[in-house]
Amino acid sequence: MMPEKREERAGQRKLRVRPTPKGRVAEPQAVAEVRQAIDELPRRADLLIEALHRIQDAFGALADRHLVALAHELRLTPAEVYEVATFYHQFDIVRAGDPPPAPLTVRVCDSIACELAGSARLLESLASTLGRSLRVIPTPCVGRCDKAPVAVVGRRPVDRATPESVEEAVLAGRTEPAPPAAIDYRTYRDHGGYRLLAEWHDGGRDVEELIAAIEASGLRGLGGAGFPTARKWRFVRAAPKPRVVVLNADEGEPGTFKDRHCLETDPHRVLEGLLLAARIVEAEEVYIYLRDEYPAIRALIERELAALAADPPCPIPTIHLRRGAGAYVCGEETALLESIEGRRGEPRLRPPFPAQRGLFGRPTLVHNVETVYWLREILEEGPEAFAARGVRGRKGMRHFSVSGRVQRPGVYRAPAGVTARELVEEYAGGMLPGHTFYAYLPGGASGGILPASLADLPLDFDTLAPYGCFIGSAAVVILSDHDRARDAARNLVRFFAHESCGKCTPCRSGTARTLELLEAERWDTALLAELGEAMADASICGLGQAAPNPVRCVMRFFPEELET
Amino acid sequence: MSGNGTTGTADIAFTLDGETVTARPGETILQVAERHGVRIPHLCYAEGLRADGNCRACVVEIEGERVLAPSCCREPAPGMKVRATGERARRAQKMVLELLLADMPEAPYRADSELDLWARELGVEGSRFPARPAPEPDLSHPAIAVRLDACIRCTRCVRACREVQVNDVIGYAGRGANARIVFDLEDPMGESSCVGCGECVQACPTGALLPAALLRLDVDAVLLSPLDWSWSDEWP
Repeated sequence: MMPEKREERAGQRKLRVRPTPKGRVAEPQAVAEVRQAIDELPRRADLLIEALHRIQDAFGALADRHLVALAHELRLTPAEVYEVATFYHQFDIVRAGDPPPAPLTVRVCDSIACELAGSARLLESLASTLGRSLRVIPTPCVGRCDKAPVAVVGRRPVDRATPESVEEAVLAGRTEPAPPAAIDYRTYRDHGGYRLLAEWHDGGRDVEELIAAIEASGLRGLGGAGFPTARKWRFVRAAPKPRVVVLNADEGEPGTFKDRHCLETDPHRVLEGLLLAARIVEAEEVYIYLRDEYPAIRALIERELAALAADPPCPIPTIHLRRGAGAYVCGEETALLESIEGRRGEPRLRPPFPAQRGLFGRPTLVHNVETVYWLREILEEGPEAFAARGVRGRKGMRHFSVSGRVQRPGVYRAPAGVTARELVEEYAGGMLPGHTFYAYLPGGASGGILPASLADLPLDFDTLAPYGCFIGSAAVVILSDHDRARDAARNLVRFFAHESCGKCTPCRSGTARTLELLEAERWDTALLAELGEAMADASICGLGQAAPNPVRCVMRFFPEELET
Repeated sequence: MSGNGTTGTADIAFTLDGETVTARPGETILQVAERHGVRIPHLCYAEGLRADGNCRACVVEIEGERVLAPSCCREPAPGMKVRATGERARRAQKMVLELLLADMPEAPYRADSELDLWARELGVEGSRFPARPAPEPDLSHPAIAVRLDACIRCTRCVRACREVQVNDVIGYAGRGANARIVFDLEDPMGESSCVGCGECVQACPTGALLPAALLRLDVDAVLLSPLDWSWSDEWP
């Protein structure tokens, strides 16, 4: 009798169960579509961003139903998928009931070099002519500042864009980028490439000797932070195995395009350097994190990695190529690690440092593209010779990205310690006709703004510290008497506000509030200074810490611009 | 490169605002400070939740470090010199509170909003920044009222939902000033997969999430703090 009663009760309870779970349910049709789009991709949470790319590539946008289906497929919750999808600018989410996405997107770069070259007018013009049938939107720096202004039609960049040339590309259906004319694997090897790596693998070289050589060369991290390369290697080598190496190819600092230059012209020099670094720290896996704004380089690297894998000079570790999705902050090394792990690109708190606990919790060596690019040259010509190429007491060489009001903007190999005036006059062909040198950004958006009266300072790590500036990624943007430093500052702060990840208060709220204050004709300099100090002091990562730099420089070096 | 998560067993002596104090293994600067009655504002940190270090209200000055450090996430090292209530740290702490206050509704949703209590204690009166456009309230859930115009984006609700209850309904979507708390795919909470456990309400420091029943009471702001605020002479 008792058991029957219990069954009865259980049965009654069963009747009250909802027919479907609360919330969204994955539709079988959507799951099938997602499965087809992501195909053989392993169902792992760290591949979420890659999966989102594949779905967007297949369907033109990310629909609600596909996000829910993807969550189901990857064993994530819808919230976990949604928060990642909404973080990255390249992803377009289309909600149920929204109109379908435009067949083609034209992006007009509105970062500093393009703005100087008239991107605002270009955007306005394109929006009125093409805006009805296509989507025309502004986009942050696409890393082609030497060819400003730049528009991107689909994935194809249009250099020195005019309304006519962009319309022409649209009409001709030219939406895929042309492959860069890079040195391929065969040619690279025929000219002595990978000899170092092979020699090294055969035990021809001693690790300590190699580290000492790089130490003597004075090579430092050329992504911007300038951490001594040899010291970084020692830290990672001191941490337990397994270790990982990550190549930061998420170039995004406005005004910077030297990593693109290195990868487009000589990708194997970068890869050999990367593999040398991997060998030095005895890493078993290597990751390349490439910004999504460089699709031509992605195709190139895929091709060259295949050539390398088909006929390697020696056994090499597994190399994973990961694709960013439009987020400047992912150039920050810990945000980059989060992104590779398939999450929002929010920086991690330090300590622990990546060298201790990095990608997937492993000790991780993170290098900028240009840093590893130099390794072969340094080891071949000798560290002393490399170091001696610096001027004014500085060591080594680096690639300067020069843009703005100069005759010949471009990437220039120049000695550390070169001055902005020399870069303008001796490298970039002088100022544009009718323009007088007025001011310059020594290190992209983050490095501050200096007046032309300080254009004879040696440019290198640490040399600009007394002026509240830094060289960073060596992106030198030249302003002329046609420009105002305060307008440049507003452009840069707008960029930071757009790119802030939103994790910490000083940066999330501070960049937006600074931008509001800069919109005023008369700047509230006292409040800007106070806010800037808190942002620099209390933000988690370099983005928020550096965001007040341009504003502080305007107040310090260009006070006459603020008198109204 | 000093490590975090020290696994030693010995107590760690360091200096906090000029006084020599001792941290137990695993203790953060904030926890030691609380034990010693040194008041450091904190919002995204709450006992029982993983420390996230995102609000930056608890930043302190550590001698030899370039920038301030979040005391909720930092363990002291032997001999470390920490200034928690010095001018530089206080300026940053107060600016964080001022930035967050600008995002608040005119009248608080909780009389014991942790933000208001800390602002009062540190003498931050109002904000020099203009109010932001307030997001619409979401009253779709029978048990929980969502009013994100009082949200300081500390993500305590996210951690409560994801890491304590393992429901993972709440996410942090968008970026920059547009970053926001969402349910599932930014659905109304009542239509989301929320099971109404209430953990997020317990976690919210400002009343952006409240028991819906309380909204039906005829009061301006409710007092439902599970936390011990007895230290405050300004107890409302």
